[in-house]
Amino acid sequence: MNRRSQLGPVTKSTVWLLWFFLLGCALAMGQNSYTVSGTITDKSNGETLFGASVLLAGTSIGGITNEYGFYSITAPAGEYTLRITYMGYNEVQMKINLVQDLKNDVEVSEFSTELDEVVVTADEPERALLGKPEMSVVKMNMGTVKQMPVVLGEVDVLKSLQMLPGVTNNGEGTGGFHVRGGAQDQNLVLLDEAIIYNTSHMFGFFSVFNADAIKDVKLYKGGIPARFGGRVSSVLDIRQKDGNNKNFALTGGIGLISSRLTAEGPLFGDKGSFLVAGRRSYVDLLLKAAGEDNSVSFYDLNLKTNYAINANNRLFLSGYFGRDAFKLGNSFDSSYGNASGNLRWNHIFNDRLFSNLSAIWSRYDYDLEFAQDEFEWVSSITNYNLKYDFKYYLSDAFSLDFGANGIYYDFDPGEVNPTADTSPVNPLKLDQKRALESGIYINAEHKLTPSLTLQYGMRYSAFSRLGGQPISEYANDQPVVYNSLLGIYERGEVIGEKEYAKNETIETFGNLEPRVSLAYLLNEDSSIKAGYSRTAQYIHLLSNTSSVTPLDVWTPSGPFIKPQLSNQYAVGYFRNFLDKAYSLEVETYYKTVDNRIDYIDGSDLIGQNTIETEILNGEMRAYGLELLLRKNEGDFTGWIAYTLSKSEQRTLGGNAGGPGINDGDWYNSAFDRTHDVSVSGAYQLNDQWSFGTNLVFQTGRPVTYPNGQYVYEGLSIASYAPRNSDRLPAYHRMDVSVNYKPRKYQNKRFKGEWVLSIYNLYNRKNAASISFGQNLETGANQATRTAIFGIVPSLTYNFKF
Amino acid sequence: MKTFKKIILAIIVIAFTSCVDVVDVEVQDGPTRLVVEASLNWEKETAGNEQTIRLSESSPFFSTDTVTEVTGASVVVTNDTSGDEFVFADQGNGEYLSTTFEPVLGQSYSLRIEHNGEVYTASETMTPVTDITDIFQKREEGFNDEELEVHIVFTDPEEEGNNYLFKFQREGDLLPGLEVGEDRFLNGNEIDWWYEIEEDEDENIEPFQPGDILQIEMYGISRPYYDYIKILVEQLGGTSLFDSTPVAVKGNCINETNPENYAFGYFRLTQVVKASYTFVEE
Repeated sequence: MNRRSQLGPVTKSTVWLLWFFLLGCALAMGQNSYTVSGTITDKSNGETLFGASVLLAGTSIGGITNEYGFYSITAPAGEYTLRITYMGYNEVQMKINLVQDLKNDVEVSEFSTELDEVVVTADEPERALLGKPEMSVVKMNMGTVKQMPVVLGEVDVLKSLQMLPGVTNNGEGTGGFHVRGGAQDQNLVLLDEAIIYNTSHMFGFFSVFNADAIKDVKLYKGGIPARFGGRVSSVLDIRQKDGNNKNFALTGGIGLISSRLTAEGPLFGDKGSFLVAGRRSYVDLLLKAAGEDNSVSFYDLNLKTNYAINANNRLFLSGYFGRDAFKLGNSFDSSYGNASGNLRWNHIFNDRLFSNLSAIWSRYDYDLEFAQDEFEWVSSITNYNLKYDFKYYLSDAFSLDFGANGIYYDFDPGEVNPTADTSPVNPLKLDQKRALESGIYINAEHKLTPSLTLQYGMRYSAFSRLGGQPISEYANDQPVVYNSLLGIYERGEVIGEKEYAKNETIETFGNLEPRVSLAYLLNEDSSIKAGYSRTAQYIHLLSNTSSVTPLDVWTPSGPFIKPQLSNQYAVGYFRNFLDKAYSLEVETYYKTVDNRIDYIDGSDLIGQNTIETEILNGEMRAYGLELLLRKNEGDFTGWIAYTLSKSEQRTLGGNAGGPGINDGDWYNSAFDRTHDVSVSGAYQLNDQWSFGTNLVFQTGRPVTYPNGQYVYEGLSIASYAPRNSDRLPAYHRMDVSVNYKPRKYQNKRFKGEWVLSIYNLYNRKNAASISFGQNLETGANQATRTAIFGIVPSLTYNFKF
Repeated sequence: MKTFKKIILAIIVIAFTSCVDVVDVEVQDGPTRLVVEASLNWEKETAGNEQTIRLSESSPFFSTDTVTEVTGASVVVTNDTSGDEFVFADQGNGEYLSTTFEPVLGQSYSLRIEHNGEVYTASETMTPVTDITDIFQKREEGFNDEELEVHIVFTDPEEEGNNYLFKFQREGDLLPGLEVGEDRFLNGNEIDWWYEIEEDEDENIEPFQPGDILQIEMYGISRPYYDYIKILVEQLGGTSLFDSTPVAVKGNCINETNPENYAFGYFRLTQVVKASYTFVEE
């Protein structure tokens, strides 16, 4: 496997052969050892559990269930006690006699539900995973997410993640999230493996993920496993629920902004299940009722169904469809949204070899209609993704992940269509772009000694920018030229155009991406981990605004835009203490990103066919220290998260000449937050009442303020300081929530719950932006602060039956 | 697209509890620079011989002191083809005046300023403008379908690459409104350009009312000047989350003596059409 790195760009077939060879060798091994394998599911609804720990008690042999709840453990023949633990669930212990390969599916039950014949020994809470080399990973329990206070009563996975170290956003009312000083487009967001290009509703106030339809949320801030590729900052892996296969259930909620309803139940007897979840906002209805012409609304629909053909074959079909619409009077109408679908086939070759084949489609598009000016503007990105992943459990000390995938992209950056003959606007279509991204990977988890586990792997990614479009040619090959007289960057001179046919390739890139990490157990309660990962990103979101908007367009790498390449190094210390009631996780990281695009002063991205004339290739670097102290047990649970970090970027003139953007100096990226403290707590008073609170303190976002004024055209013109050399005031707030479950429901099937949430309790006016201009009446210059949320109380009612 | 950003902000304000207020903020102090307002505007159907150039200095952003005028500079504009020189005479109040300027469409001119021992130069071409064919008022269009807006109609010339600067000054208002346009999506078409004033209670601004008199100026501008004034106009009134990061806008006046000490402002030569419109009761 290590030899592969020296092979350079190897052809796929060679690698496949190599893998089958490895597999062949492996299958020949392992005599006198037997394997116990199976699926771990939730007893109440049949949902498979991802990340449940399965251990042979008294040994160090064990494993963790994969995304489909599958586990496989190989051990020498003998009698064992199998221990299954999963956070929020009762522990299960069962005797097994391993004298032959065993198939052993286990159901576990949640804490509060009625007990069963299984022996309950202890509650297994969220705590630091010591022995696994996996680091820089955040896994969020949906129960925790639902308990946290939220703005306007909308439970939001992305906002909850921002309470953890290393994760921030760009301020209230902005979309997406930032991981370890990275940009929003550097996050790979997957919903049931489908790429989601825009994670927000209403420009960022809410996320597109309906908490009722989600089973797991896992964020990789670094140490990204080799099976993922395509983004340099993080991977957010969100899995939808499979649907209750025991009985029909309805879950729902009525909130201030939106209402939700989820239906799930068994299908085909006990062989399958389905889930349909819908959510719709009704601000638009309220606005309409108030006689307002303007409107804003969103909805989403999650679908999932699965069917077990037999014990070794299962099919899953999942889909997501979400859309936002907004309207301003009669003059302007717009909508945007994501749609995705995924058909999966889980196949268990044998008790040690698990596979999953997925065919995935996803799309993001928007359209704007300007009724007054009689034209519409449409844009989209569509991708088709085929991936095949294998997990092979060779022995108790060695397992392999390997697989391949290919993504075909279709970018339609923009099209203008006049909607009437009298329209003043001419039709326009920006060049459609096409590309193919492929990857193959192999990764081993290798337990060298009981206290030292290594994870090492390699991904080879390739990207081909396909033809079917012209590419502009520039004088001296400079799409951007430095005008040394005026000291500004200007658009280069087009001297020709080269037309590429559909079967031609414009440019190809290939990168080897090694991923290595280790975990060393210092003792039973503490461990140290270290990791290095290299990642490549081939598609980029074009955005020169302070905050990403739903109208920003993705663009592929090509002759002028190089793939972003990142190296990340991380070291961490992990400890459980006070009888595992508390856990401490400390990590420090350093990362660099090459070929980060940056925008020249005055860049114009709207309707821009030649993006290369607006940008230069720069670089980023970020480093930081993250601390997470958690209390995992008892009536009071919660955490304190602290991040000390720095994120900067620099763009030199390069081929364009000149000093570069911001005079070629390093400057704070918009995602730089020196200090970031988040405290989250939950208190369970009794069966009826529980309370939650959030406290957040963050250094203000880097911004650019004026450093002078002058009179021109009868106006006072602000002249601005170097990029991001000022900061907004510090951001801080406190939220509280109260959950009340009326007693009358407690032993009935119907369960109801009231959630009262108060966001920004002390009504701090946190600046989302500060802008500078002249007072229209007095002519004096002034600074104007926009604060999005003051104190926001909300009430939500949730039910389940 | 400015429209779109305004719309997003409008919706945020409508839909949420957002709040906008004036606050005290500390800002940095940049270097003081020479400001060159060398706008040679040739009104159509006039001789265009009388032209003024203004020189001043930049000041700290929140300074409310009167503008520092620059006097004692030497200001000369040259016709690049004929070599004819037009000397702009110092009026002692920051203004420099020529009464003999000869504008020629499509002609390139150079500006030379000597001030404090430093020489600033710039060059630019006199750019023509098309005629306004109609001006009328409406209520139902614009951002607000209940307030009056003015419509200016003109036909963009056939060849691509025409850029426009509009200046609107309502009598009684302190500040003019500036807008820029290009023909990238509109080339060769009849264009209906509307302008509306949004109500601002805090700053005592009312929408257009019948009886309001509006002075309208439409300038034909060169592409480099368009690139310059577009950033400047976008940054007027501040930049929001959905705008580009603001920058120090560099004009075309080069400091030959000390390039670091470049000047703010621009040397532009534009043809302009002017009109006045009085809003009437419908």
